[in-house]
Amino acid sequence: MSARAAHRLVWLVALLPSLIFLAHLDAAAVNSASGALNAAGRLTGVAGLSMLLLAAILSARVPGFDRPFGGLTRLWRTHHLLGAWSLILLLLHPVLLALAAAEVSISAAAATLLPPPSDLAGWSGWAALILMMIFLAPSFSFFGPPRYERWKKVHRLAGPAVALALVHDFWLSRGLPQWLDLALWSTLALLALAAVGWRFVFSRRIGRLAYTVSDVTAIANNVVELSLEPGGRKLRHEAGNFVYLTLEDDALEAGRGEEHPYTLSSSPDEKRLRVAIKSLGDASRAAQTVRPGTKARVEGPYGRFFLSPDRVGEPELWVAGGIGVTPFIARMRHLSRRGEAADVCMIFCVQDPAREIFTTELHELAARLEGFSLHIHYFYREGPLSGGYLDNVCPDLGRRSIYICGPQPLNALVQQQAAAAGVPASRIHTEEFELL
Amino acid sequence: MKQVVYTIFVAFWTAVLTIIALDAMTPTAEAGDSGTASASYTLAEVAEHGQLDDCWMAIEGKVYDFTDYIDQHPTPPAVMAPWCGKEATEGMRTKGYGRDHSERAWQMAEQYLIGELADPDE
Repeated sequence: MSARAAHRLVWLVALLPSLIFLAHLDAAAVNSASGALNAAGRLTGVAGLSMLLLAAILSARVPGFDRPFGGLTRLWRTHHLLGAWSLILLLLHPVLLALAAAEVSISAAAATLLPPPSDLAGWSGWAALILMMIFLAPSFSFFGPPRYERWKKVHRLAGPAVALALVHDFWLSRGLPQWLDLALWSTLALLALAAVGWRFVFSRRIGRLAYTVSDVTAIANNVVELSLEPGGRKLRHEAGNFVYLTLEDDALEAGRGEEHPYTLSSSPDEKRLRVAIKSLGDASRAAQTVRPGTKARVEGPYGRFFLSPDRVGEPELWVAGGIGVTPFIARMRHLSRRGEAADVCMIFCVQDPAREIFTTELHELAARLEGFSLHIHYFYREGPLSGGYLDNVCPDLGRRSIYICGPQPLNALVQQQAAAAGVPASRIHTEEFELL
Repeated sequence: MKQVVYTIFVAFWTAVLTIIALDAMTPTAEAGDSGTASASYTLAEVAEHGQLDDCWMAIEGKVYDFTDYIDQHPTPPAVMAPWCGKEATEGMRTKGYGRDHSERAWQMAEQYLIGELADPDE
């Protein structure tokens, strides 16, 4: 099953309760304006809740579960979209029901919105909706861009919000035959519970591996590469995967004990793990000064960037931007250790020579890999990556599979030019490191 | 997507506050409905209105004419039909499976109140 089909399946499951609801809807119930508004109001409730539950189910972060979906970042894009639609639909839900009641009187409409204090079902719905507005406000930048750790903490309100929404639903729902109603919502609710249980209970016990920082190498003035020695079981992964790394150094200025996602830059055949960390936020800036001997925890692997990470079967074009070089250096190290040939044209985009990272090693590895050609593109000299530049360094672009990892503008530019060169979308693979 | 969600978020509060403000500004004339409730009907009279297109019910000593409400009721009309023309307290209190109607539903029912159930001894 392709990643696209897997995502479609998620949406289909999310829409299933709505389809069942519509199948059971009596045509006579929607032949008046207020009847139609009432049905629409109940439908938005059903659809919003099922999308909320699906988003909760997708939040589990079970290593390997993201692979059929083309990696965790793409899975989370669907999670994000489900959350957005869920909030939109659940905001419409009470308003549509109130407008339906407005046919009786304005006071009936107001009583729908503000039920008497004894109507606990109604108020649990309100509480769930208010919690959703709070925990989703940072996700949609309602009040400015969010800070990662605060966003993560606020997002935990999703748990009580889902629970209250389910109370509201079990109390009031009546659009489906009762047994179906119970079976459908219980199944989705149990899956969501299992996902949250995995995330906050089991993954902490069995999903995280103990490592120790054994070496810290300065790659540039704002990039370090950490080597991590396994304390027990070693993480099994592929080139191009990423992990959640927690550093337990008491001297860290920020991010101590917090988990942050980083791409692995080591070959899966190495005993140690390596991660290159660029100073981009509080935690990654503090990580520049982490000391050898620091205890670390590693959870993963996640992501699925390369289709065949162990060898280069078909010719490939790689475009890296800045720190986006990490999955590529992992694969070069891996291919080199295995003595594989690599028909790869690689373009590494950096601002200027002062911002180069790993270039010495990149040149060495490129020389060792048969068929590999490396090109460094300097923005200050050549401007944005142009079609002419691509044609020049990689004239057979149209027959290559394309892998892009870098900032969003570069990503968009390369995708656009690859499409113009006739590369089908199925052969363009991207890895994004912006999670929102 | 962010703009869409934010727009709906603002529209939501606008709609909610508008409805509540309109309600606050509307004179509570409907509370005077009790005047019409002075009429008194026997169960036999209620039973004469036992069709979906002419549906009265007696609930906890009061008589309601739900004819205009049938279409708006969340369930298919067939669910309410057996209670038309009857003493329907059980239907109202249990929905047929042990769950009472919400306070809101009880309030809305008041809009359809037409009188009291006559004491059978009178």
